[in-house]
Amino acid sequence: MIKYITILFVGMLVINGQVMAAEDAESTDHDAHSGHDMDHGDHMMDDSDHSGHDMDHSDHSGHDMGHGDDHGMAHGDDHMMDDHSDHSMMHPGEDGHASHHGDGHHHMDDSHIMDHEGGMIMGQNFDKLPSSCDSISEEVEITVRAGREYANKFPGTMYAFDEQQWHVKPCAKVTWHFVNEDDIRHQFMMHGLPRYMYQNGMFHLEVTGPRTISGTLIVPATDETYLVHCDISQHMEKGMKAQLVVGNGGEDIPSIPGLTPYAFPDTYLHEDLPQVSNEDDDDSLLTQVDEFVTDNTPFSLIALFGVLIGLLSVPLILKLFSFRKNKVEAE
Amino acid sequence: MPTHFLIAVLACFFFSATVVAQTSLKLPETIKVVPEALTSEPVCDPIIAASWRDAQEIDGVKIRESRRCNPDNPALIAAVVKGTNNISMATLMETDLSADTIIKEDDIDGDGDPDRITIKLEVMELNGPSPDFEGLIPTFDIAPGIQPGLWVFAPKTRGMSTENFESVRANSLLRLPSPVIRVEVGDTVRLVLENSHYLPHTIHLHGVDHPYAGHGHDGGDGVPQTSESFLLPGGQRVYEFTPRQAGTMLYHCHVQTHTHLAMGLVGMIIVEENRPNNWLQTLNVGAGHVRHPSVAIQEEFDHEYDLHYHAMDKELHEIIQKYNDPRLIARDMNRLYDITDSTEDYYVLNGLSFPYTLRESLIIVEPDQKVKLRVANTASEMLAMHTHGHKATITHYDGIEHNPIAQITRDVYALAAAQRLDLTLNTTDDGLHSYGEGIWLFHDHREKGITNNGMNPGGNVSAIVYKSYLDDIGLPKSQGIDISKYFTEEFHQRKLPVWQDLDASGSLGAAAGQSAPIIDPATRITLIDFIFGLVAGLMLYMLFARREQTKQAMLQVVSKLKGSKGNKAND
Ligand SMILES: [Cu+2]
Ligand SMILES: [Cu+2]
Repeated sequence: MIKYITILFVGMLVINGQVMAAEDAESTDHDAHSGHDMDHGDHMMDDSDHSGHDMDHSDHSGHDMGHGDDHGMAHGDDHMMDDHSDHSMMHPGEDGHASHHGDGHHHMDDSHIMDHEGGMIMGQNFDKLPSSCDSISEEVEITVRAGREYANKFPGTMYAFDEQQWHVKPCAKVTWHFVNEDDIRHQFMMHGLPRYMYQNGMFHLEVTGPRTISGTLIVPATDETYLVHCDISQHMEKGMKAQLVVGNGGEDIPSIPGLTPYAFPDTYLHEDLPQVSNEDDDDSLLTQVDEFVTDNTPFSLIALFGVLIGLLSVPLILKLFSFRKNKVEAE
Repeated sequence: MPTHFLIAVLACFFFSATVVAQTSLKLPETIKVVPEALTSEPVCDPIIAASWRDAQEIDGVKIRESRRCNPDNPALIAAVVKGTNNISMATLMETDLSADTIIKEDDIDGDGDPDRITIKLEVMELNGPSPDFEGLIPTFDIAPGIQPGLWVFAPKTRGMSTENFESVRANSLLRLPSPVIRVEVGDTVRLVLENSHYLPHTIHLHGVDHPYAGHGHDGGDGVPQTSESFLLPGGQRVYEFTPRQAGTMLYHCHVQTHTHLAMGLVGMIIVEENRPNNWLQTLNVGAGHVRHPSVAIQEEFDHEYDLHYHAMDKELHEIIQKYNDPRLIARDMNRLYDITDSTEDYYVLNGLSFPYTLRESLIIVEPDQKVKLRVANTASEMLAMHTHGHKATITHYDGIEHNPIAQITRDVYALAAAQRLDLTLNTTDDGLHSYGEGIWLFHDHREKGITNNGMNPGGNVSAIVYKSYLDDIGLPKSQGIDISKYFTEEFHQRKLPVWQDLDASGSLGAAAGQSAPIIDPATRITLIDFIFGLVAGLMLYMLFARREQTKQAMLQVVSKLKGSKGNKAND
């Protein structure tokens, strides 16, 4: 009798062991994620990564602030306004480096273009060389498409760019053609550029689709990876995120669909949704046996399987114990 | 050997017994939470320029004085009155509006104001999740540290969703409630919904005269089951209508209304009577004081206030913060959340709960004035709005004027879900309409409505404040206690003893813990039980392992006893 109970017990232990192992794997997973300790106050995580490039502000104070040129717009030229002179009068002494709390009503940078339909270009730069560049290395034009359609290939996202990564050479002059295919606003926003020539280190295109807007910038000489995203609430979080790799690039930006893992991924549980039963499965011998066993005994097939394993392993365990015992006795 | 264990066990029991006895000799001291230990913020947000409170004229738009501590941005009011197509670029730059948010054109009836009005709204999420860090973005606190996940209709914005690059706080246009919309009878209104959210939405015009079904891609009644399809993410829809009746109405999303409306996709829409030269304040962002009232209101009233009441079940608002994947959010929202089991936790007036209501939702009056209050309740339960010191007259129910001779003057105004009341607040000190000058609260008289998740004071409490009781920065000159403690996160987290400063001795403050709280009583009992068991086990083991010795010892003892007995017998 005791023997049977032991066998059952060992069988259950084996099964439990499996379950616990699965749970363990999950919990260590969580631990790993919580290890990503990020500054909550700073949602643009690349800012700190790139802060090294912003150190030498004073060295470059001789450079002009990059005022927007007003000939970069592909469409809607008639409505274009270049108000930077106007704007600098509005904010005397304002240096654009906004404090955490301030700036509630001073949003626009000095270098920007805006039209009556809400199209915007900020941080455009055609000819001002970053201090690290002797000359422009290459002139490239890149078309970026944005919209819901490009999220289709990434389950669990809603908006995306058509590409998640672009490569250019250091000191390249890049003209971006930003094609918004949705009927809402999207943005092509880059962060972490040198602040002495790009206000807040940003280059920004914004347009309500379906429409295209174009803008040009010159990237610095350093190997670096820049965040590209749409800052409309939840657009980046729901997939509209990419990176621009200059030269050999720097550290990858996290949570780019299909490219880099999410820092804090969701947990997906199996849902018992009604499904049309598959005929092949019905016919399979194993399924039938499982159903039969489940229907006719209080144990599931897997439990019986566990008991079987337990049964087989008992002699082994006993042998192990007796061996130890012998050893102890020998000593 | 066994005797040693016995002694140890007894010592354990004695020790724990002494600790209990000692601590019950004297009750613990009162401890006080000092202000330095708190996450506090200024009562009035210092980023607001004092000049915003003054009466002024911007680009030819007259803007009334608004003495409260957080007045609306005058540039924003000028832009929404003239339209973003007619305002100067300099003024537009002082706002977060897109250049195409409000387009006003064509004076069709030739009465001096534009009659073709386009208003563009986006759907924005506040206090949403991020797969990159544990916090929320963009943040909007309804009270210090309280950040329920929200969806709002927002005026079409330009640039970043946050205040600036360094901040996670939402920009000034992204807030609860969805903005109050004002249009004129006879206007051709094109309400453009740009669905910038990741779930489908629509607009249903509640009480505003509109066509049942739109034409082609246009919107109708906003109900996906009858009049139109879902407006999917990334899509745009135009709701075109020409209202024929004036009144205080609502607009809200009609997709999964039981959750979408509660999430914040509901706002007031007011149809104003047609008058010549009637340039309306098309949007009242954040509701509250109307700083550029319509011609009809100016004819009859001294001030106009929009009061939008809403309530939230925090479990619903947490759903969008738990997941990033829209499918998981849809699963919980549509299938796991059960509104019939819901309870309201947060009560907001114009998107904010006390103490923030003090910054924005004060009704500021002077004696002998007539004030128009447009009140809407968008919570799913009844609202029992009560005014201290005043009895106001209900002039309109759901936008329709009540028979003037039958109008009721009272001090508790009941509003069913989605109901609107127009009240006339008369500040004549006659013992009926007003009891005189002061700081008179107005609040929900269902008592849970004056709490933040059960913590009082909180909820939709605000006040009717006479100007003589208002200080330089627009705060009521308090006669009672210091209100700064309400502007701490800890108060709302229940970590600040509410009455600790009631008197000098702190007689109703927090009691310190017992002097030996290293292990709590339950754990101590468990531990003692465990030690006892352990000792017993060890003893048994020892007895068994050294059974020969024990046997001999026992025999010895027995023989000794026998011997002594024998001796005694011998004696
Ligand atoms: Cu976008
Ligand atoms: Cu909705």
